[in-house]
Amino acid sequence: MNNRKFRSKKGKERITNIIIYTVLVLISLVWLIPFLILIIQSFSGGSGMASNSIFPKRWTFDNYIKLFTETKFLTWYGNTMLVSVVVTIVQTIIVLMTSYALSRLRFKMRKPLMNLMLILGMFPGFLSMTAVYFVLKEINLTQNLFGLILVYSASSAMQYYICKGFFDTIPRSLDEAARIDGASRHTVFMKIILPLAKPIIIYTILTAFIAPWGEYMFSSFIMLGDPEKYTVAVGMKSWLDNSVLASEYFTVFCAAAVVVSIPITALFIWLQRYYVEGVTGGSVKG
Amino acid sequence: MADVSLKHIYKVYSNGTKAVNDFNMEIEDKEFIVFVGPSGCGKSTTLRMIAGLEDISAGELKIGDTIVNDMEPKDRDIAMVFQNYALYPHMTVYENIAFGLRLRKLPKDEIHSRVIEAAEILGITDYLGKKPKEMSGGQRQRVALGRAIVREPKVMLLDEPLSNLDAKLRTQMRAEIAKLHKKLGTTFIYVTHDQVEAMTMGTRIVVMKNGYVQQIDTPKNLYNYPANKFVAGFIGTPQMSFFEGTLKKDGEYVIIKFDCSDADIKVPYSLLYKAKPSSLDGKTKVYIGFRAEDVSLAESNSENNLAVINAVVSHREELGNETLIYAYLCGFQEEAGSSRIIIKDNCGKEINSGDIIKVALDIGKAHLFDKETENSVLPRVPEYNYLDCQIKDGKLIFHGTAFEIPSAIKCANTNGELLLPSNAVTFGGKIKAEIVSCEEINGINLFSLAVNGGRLFALSHEKIERNTVNIGIDFKKITVIADGENVIAPINEVNSFNCTFVKRKTKRRIEQNGKVKNKKTIEFGFLTEDVFFSASDDAVQKIFSALGVKKAYVSTLKMECGIHDTVVSDTGIPAKVESVLEYGEDKFLKCKIGDNTVYVKTDREYDGDIFIAPDMDKIGVVEKEREIKII
Repeated sequence: MNNRKFRSKKGKERITNIIIYTVLVLISLVWLIPFLILIIQSFSGGSGMASNSIFPKRWTFDNYIKLFTETKFLTWYGNTMLVSVVVTIVQTIIVLMTSYALSRLRFKMRKPLMNLMLILGMFPGFLSMTAVYFVLKEINLTQNLFGLILVYSASSAMQYYICKGFFDTIPRSLDEAARIDGASRHTVFMKIILPLAKPIIIYTILTAFIAPWGEYMFSSFIMLGDPEKYTVAVGMKSWLDNSVLASEYFTVFCAAAVVVSIPITALFIWLQRYYVEGVTGGSVKG
Repeated sequence: MADVSLKHIYKVYSNGTKAVNDFNMEIEDKEFIVFVGPSGCGKSTTLRMIAGLEDISAGELKIGDTIVNDMEPKDRDIAMVFQNYALYPHMTVYENIAFGLRLRKLPKDEIHSRVIEAAEILGITDYLGKKPKEMSGGQRQRVALGRAIVREPKVMLLDEPLSNLDAKLRTQMRAEIAKLHKKLGTTFIYVTHDQVEAMTMGTRIVVMKNGYVQQIDTPKNLYNYPANKFVAGFIGTPQMSFFEGTLKKDGEYVIIKFDCSDADIKVPYSLLYKAKPSSLDGKTKVYIGFRAEDVSLAESNSENNLAVINAVVSHREELGNETLIYAYLCGFQEEAGSSRIIIKDNCGKEINSGDIIKVALDIGKAHLFDKETENSVLPRVPEYNYLDCQIKDGKLIFHGTAFEIPSAIKCANTNGELLLPSNAVTFGGKIKAEIVSCEEINGINLFSLAVNGGRLFALSHEKIERNTVNIGIDFKKITVIADGENVIAPINEVNSFNCTFVKRKTKRRIEQNGKVKNKKTIEFGFLTEDVFFSASDDAVQKIFSALGVKKAYVSTLKMECGIHDTVVSDTGIPAKVESVLEYGEDKFLKCKIGDNTVYVKTDREYDGDIFIAPDMDKIGVVEKEREIKII
């Protein structure tokens, strides 16, 4: 009697697992196939748009060679890299400091300020695009990478939400213990909070890097008419703007896409090792 | 290695909740003070105020000789151990302990030697290279202790450090902390909700409830002389059993009647001689409390002080060496709360639920509390002598002895009740008294005197070795009530004036280098009866820190000043002299300011209108709305 019950439970578990894994595999296929096609096409000889099969008839590196020699891709790549790195640094610092202040300090208007930032963050950024453009024009920063950096990092503090949530989980008694031990707020932040916040720092760096790296709307608007200042997204889109270019550049576009995805992947793999779980383990009684 | 002094400490939150009310205490060097009380009683808040982690709403906190109210925690030279250890998880044990020293930029060698020394004291030398998460709860708490002691602070603060440990480890750590205290010779302040911890560790215990201090005393005194029902019920396991009842004095005996039992118990008055007479009238309801060890099964014991009543056994708890029997006084099982009695029994007799047993109560060890106020009616130091008296021809007569009434008091011949505070009996008068007994209680000597056969309590700071003394009465403090009216009323020791805090701008002409300049100065002070008194810098600071800049000017305040510190001056508050009171050598003016009566000490006679002024260095200020003593 007991035995049968036990077996039936195990059988049920197996069926559930089969269903779960089937769904997961399907979802990942849907997600992975475009990416696979992209990689494969980037090695395809001849114009990819015309061919009907996924697998090319001829494998070649020509697309990559063309990408680096015949197009402005390298310039764009450099532009994007510069903008992204600077924005990442600025944004990470601002987000961490804002989050710490909102998590630990109690001041007037703290709650309203948090709500305001949250609500403002819900509006799509491009709503202010024309206004931002005119402001930048006034201070002569259109068609300028610094202008782009300014636009991207201006609203950094609004990204505080997740980071503050993480800081809230670090017990306040750690701050208090450190303050009694003789630390100033600054020391507490640098020596206690930041070492414990590695996962969230990584998260902040990744999101801060990815956003400007792939952003199209603002950069296309601000850099309009100066191909030397394009970022990769704007530059690559310009290849697809007319059909003649599009069919010629399709495989090159794929190659560019692969190259663009490299830094993000590398960044993630490099930072992943700091994603150690349970960093706060043992500090206080759970 | 320092005294800690808390004077009128308040914690008031912005929504008006008072977490700590008028906390007063002088903690001496090397003491082990325990704050104990149920959750939410304000004990942790008080500790955090001492640590500097919470702002002090009002009052004065001193560590050593320094006022530390507005000092950062790091500058107070204190160390704190938290309930949840609060170790830095990314540092090793060594780094955790050394953190505070490194921040203070001590030389490396010294840091090393101090860390090693602390680790040796606590027995954690083997774990110095480990991270906190690799350690057990007890070891972690040891590291937290190490982090505190390595700094050699003036005061060690411990906030429920053992609450997260299991029972066995807690007992062990308790002993270790007590040992540590002896070894370090530092002042310890320890917060706990566990009364056993408090009793075993503290040299003095502060019992708190709802933000108020209930009693401050040594563990033994708390147990034997609880000041109110709460302390009696909180201290000691098993809990004290309480019954409602009345007391009636009948000649040399007092008859105790329990509401929940028909049993009348007669006890000699000599056991209850300190009891307030008003509670012995047979009408005033009191709680009668017995500790489990003062209750026994009747057969085994039958001495004089014992009163025997019947009870029904409800259940029992076997503790190995002894048994706790829970019973209800006969016939009153429904009202479980008020008739339950716990008996400590170690004779091991077989007793089952439902059995009717005879219970012997040791009346000599009963604790009596007023039902209304819940304060003890059997105080350790009786505040007042309650006596029947007679006023005849300018003499106050009680116990068959006549005391000359000073000329200040004029009253007709009458019979009445005398309320004579124990501290109003002065030594060195004309009447002879015999010292029956003398006990020293918290630095004050309580004398029980016999005057012409009658009993009288008196207090003195000095010890008196003789058998007989001469006594007198301080008529300033006594009350005589006849026909429900105060015939003689005590004079207030403290004058109070309504006032507000104001800022005043004044222009002064100053001659500097031959030029005449108008210099504006801002002065802060108190405005009472439209008279401005300039406040000391210290007072201004306290007002601002307690009330904030905005509220300071709009709050209604009460200025208090002792009658000895209020003087007649050329300028000040206009007052009208009503009468001159002469108490032997002391002379006071009774004055009226509107409806307010104030007393002023004087050595000259005044008449009619005068001006009085309080000594601004000695005033107290109370915010009226929330009743916070600011200065």
